[in-house]
Amino acid sequence: MINLIRSEVLKIRSTQVWIWMLVLAVVFTGLITLGASADAVRRYESGQPVVYYDLFTTSTSASFALMILGILGLTTEFRHQTITPTLLATPNRWKLLAGKIASYGVFSIIYSIVCIAVNFTVAIIWLSAKNVPLEYGHGVAGGVVKVFISLVLLGIFGLGVGALIRNQAAAMVLGIVYFGILNFLLAGIPFIRKVWMFEPGGAFAVFTSNGQMTGLSSDVYVITPMAGLAILIGWCVLILGLGAVLSLNRDIS
Amino acid sequence: MTMIHQTGDGGVSAVVERPDGRIVIDNLTKAFGRQRAVDSLSFTVEPGSVTGFLGPNGAGKTTTLRMLLGLIAATSGTATINGVAYHSLARPLQTVGAALEASSFHPAHTGLQHLRIYCAAAGLPARRADEVLDLVGLTAAAKKKTKGYSMGMRQRLGLAGTLLGDPKVLILDEPANGLDPEGIRWLRGFFRHLAGEGRTVLVSSHQLAEIQEVADRAVILNQGKLVRAGTMDELSAGTSTAVVRGPDLAPLQLALAEAGLSGTTEADGSLRVRADELTQIGHLAFVYGVELHELTLEEFDLEQLFFTLTEGAHRGADLSVPGRTPSMTFQDPGAAR
Repeated sequence: MINLIRSEVLKIRSTQVWIWMLVLAVVFTGLITLGASADAVRRYESGQPVVYYDLFTTSTSASFALMILGILGLTTEFRHQTITPTLLATPNRWKLLAGKIASYGVFSIIYSIVCIAVNFTVAIIWLSAKNVPLEYGHGVAGGVVKVFISLVLLGIFGLGVGALIRNQAAAMVLGIVYFGILNFLLAGIPFIRKVWMFEPGGAFAVFTSNGQMTGLSSDVYVITPMAGLAILIGWCVLILGLGAVLSLNRDIS
Repeated sequence: MTMIHQTGDGGVSAVVERPDGRIVIDNLTKAFGRQRAVDSLSFTVEPGSVTGFLGPNGAGKTTTLRMLLGLIAATSGTATINGVAYHSLARPLQTVGAALEASSFHPAHTGLQHLRIYCAAAGLPARRADEVLDLVGLTAAAKKKTKGYSMGMRQRLGLAGTLLGDPKVLILDEPANGLDPEGIRWLRGFFRHLAGEGRTVLVSSHQLAEIQEVADRAVILNQGKLVRAGTMDELSAGTSTAVVRGPDLAPLQLALAEAGLSGTTEADGSLRVRADELTQIGHLAFVYGVELHELTLEEFDLEQLFFTLTEGAHRGADLSVPGRTPSMTFQDPGAAR
């Protein structure tokens, strides 16, 4: 398994995709943190309480980049037909999937650390410059751990989407449209919104929240952040399992 | 290496991986819907031999090779290397080197990066990638992105990949596709090099002349079925033809028929006689006082055999010369009775 992980990490490092995804993740995190910092300054100056939890968990915005990186992990193999030499080197497809999960998990951890660092750096500089006191209570430490876990899970979720949908363009469009548009629409559609927290985007939002989600309809079935984590893990396992059974196990011709 | 397998009756059997390099295809079938791409195919590739795997396009060669390598699931039958299925090999890249297509590269990877990725997967040192690139003459292009490789360079890179683990068994699918004459000459030398090292090589190719030159055996497939398999000697037995020309061959034709040699009389009056050597024909011509202008032996031609066995697979418009007189057969009159 160590050899397989070394091979997969080398595969990721050998192209510039991981660098561009990291740039995307950093830019997203930086911009959202700038917005959150400005809001925190505005709140402080108007005498409202600063929501430090929201300020120090903006790295969740890097989830897009992690998901795309994960999607590319398998769809690139099919697009460029490198799946053939890959399977010749690692004939056991479950083992290959496990190796990819471990490798993309490693990259997701690195991305998470970088994005959390960017989040804290930008927020601390901005608030310090505006003489807003910095407070790290209010569940911030737990929030950072949640961000870390959720970003790693999103990377693995993307890998599952790529395993299920071999076509790179289709998988990318589906992932981006779902997390960028559909997820928000589903939260507002009557009846469907009731179970919004049980679908991947909803579970991700609940898990990374401080347990007090605002702006949702009153008929949404509310679950705890830990239940959100369990559901998100469940989705990752389901998508990866379906991808392995329905798609990855198919003939490579 | 011993693999433990669950048997159908709930028992457990041990399958031992024998490092002999033998490939066994046993009653292998692949059906795509109602279409049988490979139909009850059985043959063996002997250790240390170079075996040509031949057949027209769509004959089922690539499907067979992919089933052998575990990339396509067989509908029924088995395909083993060293006595076990490919996915059960303990160290696949060190056991089998396979090149199936000339485009399985990430365009943004250099040739060296491509090979190093699979070195890592197989637990081989990274320097092995440099060594095999040198073997196939690609050292100068090692750090060039594969999107800039010509077809010939891609074929060489694919072949380099097969050698990474220094395997005893090599499986090559159409390695000559897209090669220019220089590349084909290089490939011929490459085959000779592999054969000289005593590796088991199974190679599908349309370059029949090259195969005939380097292969010990051939397996010929048509429409998913085996039509002929054997050593080159077995395949060539009884396929050579003597061509005889002269002003009056009628006495010789009679003598040949009486001697039990059959053949045809061509439109230009020449005789084509099924024979493995010329001594007997020359002797009969001398005895019967027949003047000869030509007596030559057309030896075994794999291409000829291939087209005979796969007749119909490439049937198109009739391009024969209009008005050409068909050839007449002759044989020993006694044989007809």
